[in-house]
Amino acid sequence: MIKITPTELNLVAQYIQAISGIYLDQSKTYLFETRLSSVAEAHGCANYQDLYNLAKRDLSKKIEKEIVDAITTNETLFFRDKGPFELLQHKILPEVIDARSGKSALKPRIKIWSAAASTGQELYSIAIVIKELLKDSNDYTFTLLGTDISDAAIAQASYGKYNRFEIERGLDKKNLQKYFTLLGDSWKIKDEIRAMVNFKKLNLMQPFSALGKFDIIFCRNVAIYFTLADRKTLFTKLAGSLNDDGYLIIGSTESLTGVCPLFVPKRHLRSIFYQKK
Amino acid sequence: MKNLSILVVDDDPVLRHLLRKRLKIAGYSVESAEDGYVARDLIHKQSFDVVLTDLMMPGDIGGLEVLELAKEKDSSIEVVLITAHSSVDTAVQAMKKGAADYLEKPVNFDELFLRLDKIANIQTMYRSAVDLRLALSRTEGEAGQTIQMLELLCGKLQQSLDEIETTLEKDGATSEERVASALAIIRET
Repeated sequence: MIKITPTELNLVAQYIQAISGIYLDQSKTYLFETRLSSVAEAHGCANYQDLYNLAKRDLSKKIEKEIVDAITTNETLFFRDKGPFELLQHKILPEVIDARSGKSALKPRIKIWSAAASTGQELYSIAIVIKELLKDSNDYTFTLLGTDISDAAIAQASYGKYNRFEIERGLDKKNLQKYFTLLGDSWKIKDEIRAMVNFKKLNLMQPFSALGKFDIIFCRNVAIYFTLADRKTLFTKLAGSLNDDGYLIIGSTESLTGVCPLFVPKRHLRSIFYQKK
Repeated sequence: MKNLSILVVDDDPVLRHLLRKRLKIAGYSVESAEDGYVARDLIHKQSFDVVLTDLMMPGDIGGLEVLELAKEKDSSIEVVLITAHSSVDTAVQAMKKGAADYLEKPVNFDELFLRLDKIANIQTMYRSAVDLRLALSRTEGEAGQTIQMLELLCGKLQQSLDEIETTLEKDGATSEERVASALAIIRET
């Protein structure tokens, strides 16, 4: 493994923050080395300065992508933390459906965004909740969008195939059998769920107002990797992408106190969600 | 005692006994079955970490079917196939279906023990990853409850502060009245 020098550490940390928003603690040198060493070696770089130079010169942005893929954390689970999904099923979806029904002759469209979709488990979990709740009802049009900064994560999310470790826990046997097909040692999401969702690459540091307004936004456990200043910017932008009566769900250990005054926390049973003031 | 329980499935009595004996001597806990049917019953009745099965066996339950039965019962069971050189292609197919590995006949025991050590290592890592995830989710759950409680409290306090500000700035009231109203809000909070 290639060792990183203090100068390189500073340079690489700033570069990563600039391309991804991810702020890495510079005391964690092992994190840089374990994640980036193989990228450097694959491009024949003897040190991280060389890798940085190469990445900056690479107009195709291929190396930048590889660095983002290497540095992002894709720890995610199906139904990670049951709270938000129970909230979705028992409170948010019924309320959104109620609010959108009968308002026009058109079929109500409900837009949901998983803003840090990682390898897709969250968005597929949302799709499963909708399928379970509405069965094959054709009364609403759902748009389910998942975005992530990592190409590799988006590729896996789109393919919808998960190994034993990725699938276990969170997903009960009933839903596993119902919505997945065993493929060798892995499980693949069934087409009926796959067809409900869309994934695309998006860097949350970049503008995203072009995605339009959403009724429900999940933005869980991604802002924890950002600086306070970047968090403020992100949640302010998210407020702009949320309908006035929309719902925001953040990670269970995250807080918007001192981050974004545009949202108020509300409670339902054991979970909280946010709405615009 | 090694920490793997192994089911040996082979219709050849000589190889079956040899495998059973060598694995036992090496410290593994071993059960054996003389065909796919007996294997099926054992897989349903007991739990195994590894199933070591011959690929070609008489009857409807061959090695591939044993693989499927084991994975159906518990996808964490690792299956190693024993195959003749001529059926390596089938063994590769089996790997695609989730087999952990295959060994060609005649079985080289050093190779077998090496593969089993690898499987044991992976299973240990897998278990510790599952344990870590469990620990993480407990910690996250606990921390989440505390943070969310504080978040709601902060929201409520902010709301009170806003009300107090409005009250104190209220036109047409005396200073005493404003202070009294503000105090009332504080007491309610």
